[in-house]
Amino acid sequence: MSNSETTDPEGPQEIQYDPSASRYDLFECPDCDNVVLVLGRDDPPMSCHDEPMERVTDLEMSVKPPDVRQVLLQAFGLPKAGLDICLCVIGEGPLSANEVAETLGYDRSTVTRYLNKLVELGLLRRSELNREAGGVVNVYHSVDLERMRRETLIGFYVWAGEAASLIEDANLTKQDYLEENPDQELPDVFWESFQGRDS
Amino acid sequence: MVITRRAVLEQLATASDSDPRETTTSGALAAALEADERTIESHLHGLADCELARIRSDGSVRVTVTGEELLELELDELVIVDPETINPDE
Repeated sequence: MSNSETTDPEGPQEIQYDPSASRYDLFECPDCDNVVLVLGRDDPPMSCHDEPMERVTDLEMSVKPPDVRQVLLQAFGLPKAGLDICLCVIGEGPLSANEVAETLGYDRSTVTRYLNKLVELGLLRRSELNREAGGVVNVYHSVDLERMRRETLIGFYVWAGEAASLIEDANLTKQDYLEENPDQELPDVFWESFQGRDS
Repeated sequence: MVITRRAVLEQLATASDSDPRETTTSGALAAALEADERTIESHLHGLADCELARIRSDGSVRVTVTGEELLELELDELVIVDPETINPDE
């Protein structure tokens, strides 16, 4: 891992953002609260208030390193089984859904469910072919790898943007509370403000 | 040389037709692909499970309409075939 790591005696290792070693960059506007995440470039990606944004260098907070299975589940609703099946499509074939189920040790219905989930996510395509005995046969095939990369990255950014908005809302909620409800318990007001937003 | 299932399907489509009278044999496919016949038979059974090939009791084989249509898609990547599924959008 490229980020600096610290050992938490009560849990897994935490990581801190390290501008010199991270595969991503964080930039902020010196004049407002605008913060951007950037992958794959060295220069400040944009200006804010007509000035180049500045690389964040003084973040002290550590975070738990993300687990790829949790990320896929949280961001895309895709459990490990879905990823296993997706990887099967990229491998040798044509394979029957029964073969995939047998190879991976999943129920046949699980394979079908996640094939369709992967189509919904845009990670697979489904084509219908005519069947000699009548009806159709569903065929699942992978999308272009460049397109898959774009879809998953932008899809994740959408999720990350939603998560960042929640964190912003949490901070604003606390601020609002302090201003408007000095006599109520903060935890109650805080969680009540998010009711109905949990999915 | 490793013979892929897709290569067997392509050779099958060359050597046979979805017309039931246009068949070939696993031996002929093995000779054309310079492969072991048992390997070809294994791939043919896999293709039959996907409804892309039809194997008769006399050992003759042919590509199916489904197999021909799959090849017409000209997919670079390989696929999973799910013959028993009803499209959930329907």
